[in-house]
Amino acid sequence: MRYASLLLVVLLLPAAAAQNLADFEKDVTEFTLDNGLKFIVLERHDAPVVSCYTHVDVGAVDEVKGITGLAHIFEHMAFKGTSTIGTKDYQAEAKALERIDAAFKALKEELQKGKRSDPKRVEELRRQLAKEQQEAQQYLVHDEFEEALKREGATGLNAGTSYDYTVYMVNLPSNKLELWMLMESERFLDPVLREFYKERDVVMEERRLRTETQPVGRLLEEFLAVAYKAHPYGEPVIGHMSDLQTVTREEAEEFFRKYYVPSNMIVAIVGDVQPARVKELAARYFGRIPGKPEPEAVETVEPRQIGERRVVISDPAQPFVLVGYHKPGINHEDDAVFDAITDIMGTGRTSRLYKSLVKEKRISVEASGFQGMPGVKYPGLFLFYSVPARGHTNEENLKAIYEEIDRLKNEQVTAEELEKAKTRARASLIRQLDSNQGLAQQLAFFETITGDWRNLFRQLERIEKVTAQDIQRVAQTYFRPDNRTVGFIETAATDQKSRAGVER
Amino acid sequence: MKTVNSSVVKAGLLVLLAFGTVASAAQQTTTDYRNLEYPPLREIKIPEVSRVTLSNGMQLLLLEDHELPLIRLTARIRTGSIYDPVDRIGLADITGEVMRTGGTPTMSGDEIDELLESMAASVETGMGADYGFASLSVLKQDISRTLSILADILMNPAFPQDKIELAKIQMRSAIARRNDEPDQIAGREFSKLIYGEESVYARHPEYATVNAITRDDLVAFHRKFYGPNAVIAAVWGDFQTDEMVKVIESAFKGWKKVSDSAATPPPKVDYRFVNTVNMVPRPDLNQSNVVMGHIGGLAKDPDYPALVVMNQILGGGFTGRLFKNVRSREGLAYSVFGSYGTNYVYPGMFTVGCQTKSESTLQAISAMIAELKKIRESEVTQEELKLAKESFMNSFVFNFDTEGEIVSRILTYEYYGYPADFLMKMRDQIDKVTAKDILRAARTHIHPDKLQILVVGNPDEFDKPLSTLGQVRTIDTTIPAPKQ
Repeated sequence: MRYASLLLVVLLLPAAAAQNLADFEKDVTEFTLDNGLKFIVLERHDAPVVSCYTHVDVGAVDEVKGITGLAHIFEHMAFKGTSTIGTKDYQAEAKALERIDAAFKALKEELQKGKRSDPKRVEELRRQLAKEQQEAQQYLVHDEFEEALKREGATGLNAGTSYDYTVYMVNLPSNKLELWMLMESERFLDPVLREFYKERDVVMEERRLRTETQPVGRLLEEFLAVAYKAHPYGEPVIGHMSDLQTVTREEAEEFFRKYYVPSNMIVAIVGDVQPARVKELAARYFGRIPGKPEPEAVETVEPRQIGERRVVISDPAQPFVLVGYHKPGINHEDDAVFDAITDIMGTGRTSRLYKSLVKEKRISVEASGFQGMPGVKYPGLFLFYSVPARGHTNEENLKAIYEEIDRLKNEQVTAEELEKAKTRARASLIRQLDSNQGLAQQLAFFETITGDWRNLFRQLERIEKVTAQDIQRVAQTYFRPDNRTVGFIETAATDQKSRAGVER
Repeated sequence: MKTVNSSVVKAGLLVLLAFGTVASAAQQTTTDYRNLEYPPLREIKIPEVSRVTLSNGMQLLLLEDHELPLIRLTARIRTGSIYDPVDRIGLADITGEVMRTGGTPTMSGDEIDELLESMAASVETGMGADYGFASLSVLKQDISRTLSILADILMNPAFPQDKIELAKIQMRSAIARRNDEPDQIAGREFSKLIYGEESVYARHPEYATVNAITRDDLVAFHRKFYGPNAVIAAVWGDFQTDEMVKVIESAFKGWKKVSDSAATPPPKVDYRFVNTVNMVPRPDLNQSNVVMGHIGGLAKDPDYPALVVMNQILGGGFTGRLFKNVRSREGLAYSVFGSYGTNYVYPGMFTVGCQTKSESTLQAISAMIAELKKIRESEVTQEELKLAKESFMNSFVFNFDTEGEIVSRILTYEYYGYPADFLMKMRDQIDKVTAKDILRAARTHIHPDKLQILVVGNPDEFDKPLSTLGQVRTIDTTIPAPKQ
């Protein structure tokens, strides 16, 4: 009997999987406050926990030259508190913060004289800035924002900035929902950008850590600068060092006022919550944020590329090869075709690049291709990369990547490959449903970037429709030599002495 | 009693006020988080894990979860890279890898790749220091086929020559690349300082040890360690427990046991506390990677609960002292860490460190040492203690929010011979930890005057010479050339 019932379950499964998706869609409630702030709530009552996610439709792509890195700096500053959180005496502190600003500006002006600046005056102004920063410390209640959440059991408290958006996330025991409502609304209603220039120093360390001391980080920054000549996707999210050195608190506040408006934000809440209660608390706390016009989108359009571009960095590190082709953004009808290409070319041990470069030719230890970089909101890139095996060159790997791209252009993919891509898209969606935080992130992402959270579930319908002809057409349309950028890390001849060191 | 009563009254009033607020105006919203009152947290229902020992000796932990049509399995096998022969370092890793990529006599690795990926399923095997692992993740309709693949590769790996060669190419390439990222250099060289260059807990493959590995070595390694009595598996997902036990039992039928003493106990660590200063010079870097510390301990140490709280106060996330003082207040680093590390059966490492621009290297080192001295000098404040404990207690529910976490944790305890209720017991002990306990634990286990300090960076640009901390030993990270 038991085996019979097991068999029955197995036979019914594809329908059951579809049922799971429909169930999830049914458990979603959405509402928009009068100020334009939209909430998406997904009830999941297995465990008494909740994941809260704020997705702001602003990223590095919204920066202009001179203030690169600002979207990310603001994200750091959003943990510094408000006029009531993080301070012992805001009246006095506000004045101290203004004195820091003045000291910073005086120093900046002197430094901008370049060679004509007076070293003694610079030294004096530096001391003045340090003194003012020291003064302001007396009013601080350090890291109160984080402590208030952590004390109540917050986990995964963090934030992130990409080209397209800025996100703030946390998980809490579900009885602490109101705490999140209060803290999150406060920081976007009344942020105080205290310790601004110290946090800016932290961001400079982050730049050294992620970009300047990492071989692939170094290459990627050069690569994007070459791939884009007009659109801001070519500027680094972390910002140029000189912009980080000169950015002011005033500029950060201005950026905040322009982009952190309710109509430009989406909140997703997933977990053990009652939608009616969420709505009531949202109105009470987030309803206080005044409505403002939505900021304009980026106007610059990357012009059509008319010839291959190439960047080679000579580096202490081992070789690495990157190839990128310009392609449309996520809302283009070819997006699902690129998803299928990602699967067939770059996902898993049966993908074409892995099979050819790693398994058969043995010239690579890792080879793949994917879409989504630098962003998806505006036209981005389809990237291929390979990590050459010891003793093999970038050129050798590049040639092998081109062979696989040519195959995609010259012949249709097999029915099995296409079916596998579709099966894996279905399974991958089901696996994503397992995490509250992952779901919150996906719902907010699809709502902001595509205009409807339901696209999270509809992406399957789009990939189901992809044909072998579509893949060939897309490969022929976009994977053209005049539309590509190539990037190499070439190992520099090393100075053995300095690299290896001398004993004692 | 009085306080309890008054807070109940206060809570009641606040509820009334809150409703009033909704009905009237938004202006009256509480904006002071300290005034919030929370409803009690719904009781956590911790599901009961089923335990079964099969007739062949394999141990199973099973937990049903019917929300999604998925089944997952993770297993630990009594082996590990600590059992590599000294002239064959890399053998265990390659065995773990080729078991999966090489397939079995009846199904090649490439065929397994095709079949699994067409079902969007995964089966993996691999190696840790003191354990081997296997895992499976599958839509439930495909469980029987996938499970028999997993069983087949664990029982009858073919170890074909071409996949061994492929794994060796990968390992040699990893050796060639091991000095590309500064944090990798720092981590690797620091482990060697603590456990010793030759220690099984710190050594790593070289071209010579990889080149020496043969197919016979893989076959012998597998024969010695892989048998049903060496496996503990956790399974969770959309199945009926008794059916799943039958499916697993039949998949692993006929597997011969291995000797219970094949995996000898991991060797002890004989650590001598010393003060050393070590340097990996990298003139191309503008940021220093600093790691300092000494040997750590075991999770079964009676001081463990006090050390967990101490770790939280010293280096815990956004609110620890190191984050506050080295990052927020001084702006010296993006990432700063500090924690007394513990393992289950061999000691962990006590590590403190950060990445800071070359010009503030010594400043950052002294800021971190100052925090270590402070934690030994005086008791943590009641406020710090309260924050650390409340945050531990209030976030405790996140140990139980997925079935996978619950059953995997019990698997880990079982594997290392810890009681299944270890976490619950620890919660009770943490509840009782006092500032005095932390001070005593810190004085026993933390030794700021006996630190081994390692810096990967450009000494020409440091704010002060590293030699101000002691005699500097330069570490040669040149990769030994392969012998033909």
